[in-house]
Amino acid sequence: MTEEQKISVLSVDGLTKDYPGVRAVDNVTFSIQNSVVHCLVGENGAGKSTLVKMLTGALAPTTGAMTVNGKTYAPTSPQEARVSGIATLFQELHVVNELTVLENLTLGMEKSRFGFFVKSDLEDRVTQTLATIEPAIDPAARVSTLSVAQKQIVEIARAASSGANIIIMDEPTAALSEREVERLFTVIRRLRENNVTVIYISHKLDEIFELGDTVTVMRDGKHITTCPLSDVDGRAELIEMMIGRTVFQSYSPRGKIGDKVVLKAEGLNTKLLKDVSFDIKEGEIIGFYGLVGAGKTEVARALFGADTFDGKVTFHGKPGGRTPKEAIAKGIALVPEERRTQGLFTSLTIRENVPVMNLPRVTQNGVFKAEDVRTAAEAFVTQLGIATSSIEKHTEKLSGGNQQKVVLAKCLFSQADLLLLDEPTRGVDVGAKTEIYEIIKDLANEGNAVAVFSSELEEVLGICDRVFLMFDGCLQEEIENGPNVDIAHILNVVTGGQDEDAR
Amino acid sequence: MSSVTDTLPTRPTRSKMSDEGFISSLVAAVAISLFLIASLLVPNFFQWQNVVNLVTNNWAVIALGVGVSFLLVSGNFDLSVGGIVALSGVLSVWFAQSTEGANALSTGLGLPYGLAIACALLGALTIGALNALFVVRFGIPSIIVTLGTMMVARGIAQVITHGSQRNTNLPEAFGYLGNLSLFGTSIKFPVVLMGVLLVVAIFVERKMVFGRITYWIGANPEAATLSGIDRARHITKLYLFSAGIAGVVGILLASEYKSGFSNRGLLMEFDALVIALLGGVAIAGGFGSVIGMFFGAIILAVVTSAATGLVLSPDWQFILKAVAVFLAIVTQTWALARRNK
Repeated sequence: MTEEQKISVLSVDGLTKDYPGVRAVDNVTFSIQNSVVHCLVGENGAGKSTLVKMLTGALAPTTGAMTVNGKTYAPTSPQEARVSGIATLFQELHVVNELTVLENLTLGMEKSRFGFFVKSDLEDRVTQTLATIEPAIDPAARVSTLSVAQKQIVEIARAASSGANIIIMDEPTAALSEREVERLFTVIRRLRENNVTVIYISHKLDEIFELGDTVTVMRDGKHITTCPLSDVDGRAELIEMMIGRTVFQSYSPRGKIGDKVVLKAEGLNTKLLKDVSFDIKEGEIIGFYGLVGAGKTEVARALFGADTFDGKVTFHGKPGGRTPKEAIAKGIALVPEERRTQGLFTSLTIRENVPVMNLPRVTQNGVFKAEDVRTAAEAFVTQLGIATSSIEKHTEKLSGGNQQKVVLAKCLFSQADLLLLDEPTRGVDVGAKTEIYEIIKDLANEGNAVAVFSSELEEVLGICDRVFLMFDGCLQEEIENGPNVDIAHILNVVTGGQDEDAR
Repeated sequence: MSSVTDTLPTRPTRSKMSDEGFISSLVAAVAISLFLIASLLVPNFFQWQNVVNLVTNNWAVIALGVGVSFLLVSGNFDLSVGGIVALSGVLSVWFAQSTEGANALSTGLGLPYGLAIACALLGALTIGALNALFVVRFGIPSIIVTLGTMMVARGIAQVITHGSQRNTNLPEAFGYLGNLSLFGTSIKFPVVLMGVLLVVAIFVERKMVFGRITYWIGANPEAATLSGIDRARHITKLYLFSAGIAGVVGILLASEYKSGFSNRGLLMEFDALVIALLGGVAIAGGFGSVIGMFFGAIILAVVTSAATGLVLSPDWQFILKAVAVFLAIVTQTWALARRNK
């Protein structure tokens, strides 16, 4: 913005955030005017969430300055951000189900004297705010009786009545139905009429064009542009700005992929998934690419028997497992999405983590063969290059990349011939990333089938032979990886666009 | 979880003791120091016979502690063991009492002794199965479930004994097991049985899949399931195991006293919990050892018997126990934090 016709309510100047080895946000400068819906877009890893964390006081910038409502702004906590006028609506809601709407709205703002509540005009004020943005919600209703969408609105009303004039919304429509999305948009427009600025983050580009006034595009931590949305020429141009030419394609076709179908999924249906069907061949690396919430994890968990589902999974000609135990016995292993809470026994050592998925291999009559366990653990430390002083190290003391390798070792030890890898390199440093990719390729070259579930396009295009694009619980399209993949088309599909739009 | 023995320094990198080994040694050291301090204060305390007594007088609680420790390591409570001790003891008496008694309390079912104790054990296992059913199937927190079954078990015992005891009309064989002395010494059969249980439990915990699965479940239940462990099945086994031990303890105590008393084993569930915690078993699960629990029991025993020796009024014993528990647990937390700094 060169000229400021309106007052800017928020501006950032040269904002930078460094992590060890990575610059997550790189010298970002832009400003947002009063009473607009400002969209923030970018691929996963573009630096949006780091930027938002700095705005809300959850992270301190390495360098750079922020100004909010004309004042220098350097929050150290979300509470401080709130006082300065910035409120955030997170994906997980922070409402108290057991209280009424009104009690939720006044929570933490009650006036009290000697521990007793004092009557004030607070209740009238919040009731009025709520009525302005959504008259259909009864202030006396218990929050537990409200829908997710209504709870969200309660939270927005709380933010608005606490005096915030900037509300950050991070993927607010992820859990909403189409009609609820419309309602939310109405609320957001009313907020704008009432002099509130909304910073709206979403991967769904249609929403952005429908709702937004201005947009900031980020890519690889850098600020690409801030401009009115009317200046953007449709989805295609926005997508081009988001990806630039940065998607590095390192894919090189590997030797021969077998023709034998290892796994066949037909009509998988869960709460989220809609009629998902596909097959995986021997020696193949297939990718499932989609945004957060597109249903990738749900597919992985269904194949592994971790969630119940309708539909049919055939593995090596026989029905797949209905519990993880059965799935492992049949030869399927999963590296779960969250390694610390789902994959690893962090309080135990590497040696104690490795054998869990294939106990018969290192035991006899229920007794561990201690030497075999040790040998196996040592072998994985060497094979996967796990950086540790000893196999007796507690896994909580390892770095993210090494922890992920231990989870991988667990799965490899099971000698599965289908590996499901859910976000295998999330939070892993670049070096370990490359190593993990090499391990995956080696596994496939040995004839195993590998499925990678990822929200990083670069990862999927880097190693997978075939890629399934997912959006909103559906398998939208299957593409063969190769030098000619149309990245703009892929991004269009996974953000909910129709085929014609991007071409 | 590696024991001192299986981390023998075949390489210099493995010479560091595991956290469990460290805590167990610490607890053992505290137990021995307390014994020595008590020996200075209490006349005639420093005797071999006294050491033996510390163990033999506490065989019941130590045995219960084994089941309770395993469950704690898996992340579950078992507060029902004291109730089960009462129930199985009372049942064994009631089943064995002959049919023609003078009044209701001296009349039983007249089963042969072997069958009587088998049925009593079955009663104990039923309580264990109830625990497992509610915890595993209905997902109710174990502390609530076992608090309930504790009262159920003792309640049944109370109904059968009319709130008193049954001690008449018992067959000759009834008092045999509980009072049987072995090896020509004063060491009784139940104590030996406890010793065997300890050794087996340590082996299972250190060397066997069953033990390791217990730690995995306690350390991270979700990861355990996703690694192919049938959590429901394992926790069911643990509750049956714990209830089985409590059942045997109840039967042996009934045999020793030749009576079924509905208040037997009162507060034993808490003593078993306390010695496990004293021994370094983590209340959140995933950490602890049976050896630690054993030395925890010794700490508690030394404190109690030293108090008696100092002619402290029995009224003070609870306070003394409380002080010992707090000191021991604070020390452990502090030592472990310092070690891992």
